[in-house]
Amino acid sequence: MKKMFTKRKLLGRTGNDGLIFKIVLYILFIGISFIFLYPILQMTVTSFMPLVDLIDPTTIWIPKNFTFENYLRAINALKFWRSLKDSFIVSIIPTIFVVFSSAFIGYGFASFDFPFKKTLMVVLLAIFLIPNILMSIPTYVIYRRLNLISSLKTYIYPALLGFGIRQTIFILIFYQFFKMIPEELKEAAEMDGAHAFKIFTHVAIPMSMPAFLITSLYSFVWYWNETSLPLKYFQKNDGTFSFTTLPMAVRDFVRVYRELYPTGTVGLEGASETFNQGVQFAGTMLSILPLLIVFFIAQKWFIESVDRSGIAGS
Amino acid sequence: MKKIRNFFKNTFNKITLFYENKIRPRKDKVISFILKYLGISFVHKQFLKLNAKRRKAVIGLLFVLPWLVGLYIFGLQPFIQAIRISLADQAKYVIDLNTNSVAFEVKGWTFKHFISLFKTQPDHVELVFDVFLDILLIVPLVMVFALVLALMINQNIKGKGIFRVIFFIPVILLSGSMLYYFSEYNLLRAPAVESGAITSGIYKYLPAQLASLITLAFEKIVLILWLSGVQTLIFLAGLQKADKTVYEAASIDGANLWDSFWKITLPGLHSLMIINIIYTAVIYANLSNNRLVVLIENTLVDVRFGRPYSTALAWILFVIELLIIGIYTLLIKLSNKRYQ
Repeated sequence: MKKMFTKRKLLGRTGNDGLIFKIVLYILFIGISFIFLYPILQMTVTSFMPLVDLIDPTTIWIPKNFTFENYLRAINALKFWRSLKDSFIVSIIPTIFVVFSSAFIGYGFASFDFPFKKTLMVVLLAIFLIPNILMSIPTYVIYRRLNLISSLKTYIYPALLGFGIRQTIFILIFYQFFKMIPEELKEAAEMDGAHAFKIFTHVAIPMSMPAFLITSLYSFVWYWNETSLPLKYFQKNDGTFSFTTLPMAVRDFVRVYRELYPTGTVGLEGASETFNQGVQFAGTMLSILPLLIVFFIAQKWFIESVDRSGIAGS
Repeated sequence: MKKIRNFFKNTFNKITLFYENKIRPRKDKVISFILKYLGISFVHKQFLKLNAKRRKAVIGLLFVLPWLVGLYIFGLQPFIQAIRISLADQAKYVIDLNTNSVAFEVKGWTFKHFISLFKTQPDHVELVFDVFLDILLIVPLVMVFALVLALMINQNIKGKGIFRVIFFIPVILLSGSMLYYFSEYNLLRAPAVESGAITSGIYKYLPAQLASLITLAFEKIVLILWLSGVQTLIFLAGLQKADKTVYEAASIDGANLWDSFWKITLPGLHSLMIINIIYTAVIYANLSNNRLVVLIENTLVDVRFGRPYSTALAWILFVIELLIIGIYTLLIKLSNKRYQ
């Protein structure tokens, strides 16, 4: 009897509630989490290592001579504070436009019937499939003709008209949210004499606040991470950029760093000293740090977004 | 300071007073005057004549109007222009010396860029095939890992919230340049793989093709996991919506976990799988460290190739993406039929 009991406790009744199963699961979870975080952990650790530790093969995870020097140099080479400001401008302003235009367009698709609606929704989805690079070549030509290059308008105008970065997803998220609003509620508001726009602002928007939060978070992140579009759109005639976002600055890091700290101004000899992994990683960490902070503040919303967007239901 | 504040306070008060006394009582009149002035009142009257259904259609179209305008400016126009440029003999900026202005010129119709790609640029063709195979392999691997992760998180254990957070971090950080640094500094493979112990073991006991696939999975394990964040959560949402009673009924009928996974769980996830495949293929093909994307960027500014050639390459990237989505969607549709 006792033997049976322990067996059941170890293996469980249905095969997925036993103790052994759970232990195996935890080991797997921890292992996979480690692989997930491996590049970030490695970068973080390396960014605190001075050159001595980097060369030393016995230093694997914990820096022996902990240093902030890499970060100080990276802040200099990245022109961190200016790039940070530019990054915030370039991600927040388009995001505001993206969120409101997506809500507007999504509401149009969700609550009204009009001719060719099905076709237009298929087109909406098809746009998501077109590679950005294919569209960006002729779009650049259009912007140049309209004299928009090197201003933030290259980001704002498409965002306003539903063509920001991956905006199809946001329109669909709002579509799902607005679909869930009960029809009776809208009818009741209509009975009270509210016109369509008032129903949108007074009934639909207050009921879909999570959608606003989700889309603004994602939009912020995606605008922040974008490197190829700003390189094209923000370049001025003289080759400099009107906005240098952090990821752009990191891209240009090696060159700027070599100018700032040429060989010979540093203690140790050797060309490898001028640019080492530690500084590179410190720069990369700095460029993602604001994103990580935003994520840890709002992680609940990021993760719930998929459940809330109702993708699984459709 | 106080003076300034008072000044603003006073002006604000004056404006509100003016509004309350003068405009508010005649609000409707003022609005109708403005509408009339703009010629909108005629449209408005016509609008009121429509029946309720048509009126709704008009309002709906007004809501979608920004997108329709965008569709023309940022969708249709560049799309047609992209076709035109890829079929043009030359497409470049020409400086007009008389007026000192720059104009974009597209000249001639030709198919030569597509032909010359396949005829005279064997290294580019090879790269195109490499990229195609790369996406073709990554998509199912991401699907498998996302499904396994979703099944794991779906188990009833403590602390799974923390794991969900960890699994989601890559979604925030994933970008072409990030992955570029990872591959540059050899961070894409987990440390255990570097010893080679696992890979040699796999080759010993498994058929060569399968073994090479699994080795690839280990080789790119970090990349695959990093790509599968959103997909995992989509699968998880699907799993949590599944009807628990079906599983209970199946287990009473004697089905074990393995059976119920293949016969109940997997068929239920088919539509989500298609969504995930599309998402994975699009995101992966668009990453700025994709070798084809890099080649397109490089040929764009290279005098030997120029704009039409790189636009042709961009079309090929699009075709690759569609092919892969098509292949896997078809496979899933076919396997779905078998179950019904």
